[in-house]
Amino acid sequence: MTDQNWSILIPEIFLFIWALFIFGLDLGIKRKNPKILGYSAMAGLTITGILLAIFNGGILFKGMFQSDQLAIFFKVIFIGSAFMAVGSSFDIASEKIRHHRGEYYGLILFSTVGMMFLSSASELITLYIGMELTTIPLYVLAAFYKDDKLSVEAGLKYLIVGAFSSAILLYGLSLLYGLTGTTDIVTMKINLSLVFLSYGKIGPGLILAMIMVIAGIGFKLALVPFHMWAPDVYQGAPTPITAFLSVGSKAAGVVAFARIFVNGLIAFASDVMKPLDWGIIVAILAAAAMILGNITALRQRNIKRMLAYSSIAQIGYVMVGMVAASELGIASVGYYMFIYLFANMGAFTIATIFNDKTGSDGIISYSGLSKTSPIFAAYMSIFLLSLAGIPPLGGFAAKYLVFAAGIQAGYTWLVIVALLTSVVSLYYYANIIKTMYFSAEEPTIKIHPSFPANLVLLISVIGIILFGIFPGPILDWALESAKIFAF
Amino acid sequence: MFNTFFPILVLIVLATIIAIAMATVSVIFGRRTKGGAKGEPYESGIKPVGDTKERIPVKFYLIAILFIIFDIEVVFLYPWAVIYNKLGMFGFVEMLVFVVILMVGYFYILGKGALKWD
Repeated sequence: MTDQNWSILIPEIFLFIWALFIFGLDLGIKRKNPKILGYSAMAGLTITGILLAIFNGGILFKGMFQSDQLAIFFKVIFIGSAFMAVGSSFDIASEKIRHHRGEYYGLILFSTVGMMFLSSASELITLYIGMELTTIPLYVLAAFYKDDKLSVEAGLKYLIVGAFSSAILLYGLSLLYGLTGTTDIVTMKINLSLVFLSYGKIGPGLILAMIMVIAGIGFKLALVPFHMWAPDVYQGAPTPITAFLSVGSKAAGVVAFARIFVNGLIAFASDVMKPLDWGIIVAILAAAAMILGNITALRQRNIKRMLAYSSIAQIGYVMVGMVAASELGIASVGYYMFIYLFANMGAFTIATIFNDKTGSDGIISYSGLSKTSPIFAAYMSIFLLSLAGIPPLGGFAAKYLVFAAGIQAGYTWLVIVALLTSVVSLYYYANIIKTMYFSAEEPTIKIHPSFPANLVLLISVIGIILFGIFPGPILDWALESAKIFAF
Repeated sequence: MFNTFFPILVLIVLATIIAIAMATVSVIFGRRTKGGAKGEPYESGIKPVGDTKERIPVKFYLIAILFIIFDIEVVFLYPWAVIYNKLGMFGFVEMLVFVVILMVGYFYILGKGALKWD
């Protein structure tokens, strides 16, 4: 590993230039052909993926930017979620956002660049800048239907909550810097241990810093009790953007959390360290997220709100792996996010297509879909069953790994909560399947997705089934990526 | 110590003398007029009395926001220009990247017609 290895920045630089190119292309073609923009965005993301496979492994800017296995694993998730969000946007782009197509696709790519930076950050300031780069385009994207009250409300809410949480996060990070005298996460870990070994204790400043960082990242993750914004924003934002928010932006929060807590503050994740033990705080929040998310989702009549609460619950499951703070824990988190990418993007893509066709997000309007569009009803069932964690789909293996990591780390009570709530979750996921297959109402709606949306659905279904039956390759890769944290 | 700060002392003394002199001269030789435009807060600005809920076209805000971006660009250019020799080639390329990105933005707003007044 050389110190100045500029080539590892190539994927990010390429994607950034490509986004600028899409902005220009929209002006160049005078908004005539909506498809070419979408296809060029997908092509750009594919090329970025290839570049990522070629140029990786190394550090840059004296370790501020690292292209390690964990970063690459999550970068693949970000690129995948952006690819799928773009793929499911074609119908929206041709009808609802006539005047800003270039901006729409370009901002998705900008946000992806931010996420890629964030996942490579091994230092607090780079991490913060990456997070801002991720969220600022998303504020605009959430409010993209300018004439729709709900969408504008979503954008405004997201902006206010986002700015607020960024401020809290930054304050927490500044406290960490004040306590350790460094922004580099590994040096921070060493300095904290030195202080602890010399004095036997660390003052309440560290507790305050931890709570603020948990709150700051918790807002981005929509972790209970920082989840209030999620359902409104998810409902109002354009559906592909909701999907991107719920997968890409969340994975970004997860990787930031892993970098700060599981790497930097790993020494404090044990019972001995009370009250500095962040594990127990996060475990309680995770339990609250699973209980509240799953129980509130039961009452939802709107599919986007239901998926919003379901994603609040899902982040609770991810956090079970996170509090385990072990190699298996991080690997299971990575694997979970990987499967979650397919299942959630797929479910939201169906919701997008359905909304384009009918203009409705109500669960009740899905009744009889199995008779008119049997393939898409089957796809939706697979996505929902995977989210619920039914074998042999990917969601089962993901949940199994997360629970195993939780048990291994001694959080048995948390795993019991997770198991019970995942039984509850089966009810509302299965409710949609029941509506689609066993409704007495006469079916009227038949959906015809565009080719890219079909492609996205196909990739998702294949991903879920393939990695559900053969979790090996992805799991090995996730375990490999978890090795970069020295446990 | 004295040698270092002596010019500053001279400057302070001179500045005080000149300021007092100018004020005195204008009191002695100046013409006095009262009322009219003299009484208003801004002699040649907007009228201070009127409806506060006046509508201003949104175009002004757009131009102002776009102006700020390029204004900040110049703010960055000044310190860069001062230490240009020390930065060398690296600094030149860095600033080139920055300016090119902003230039893409400029062509974008031109293309979008954000600078058209009508």
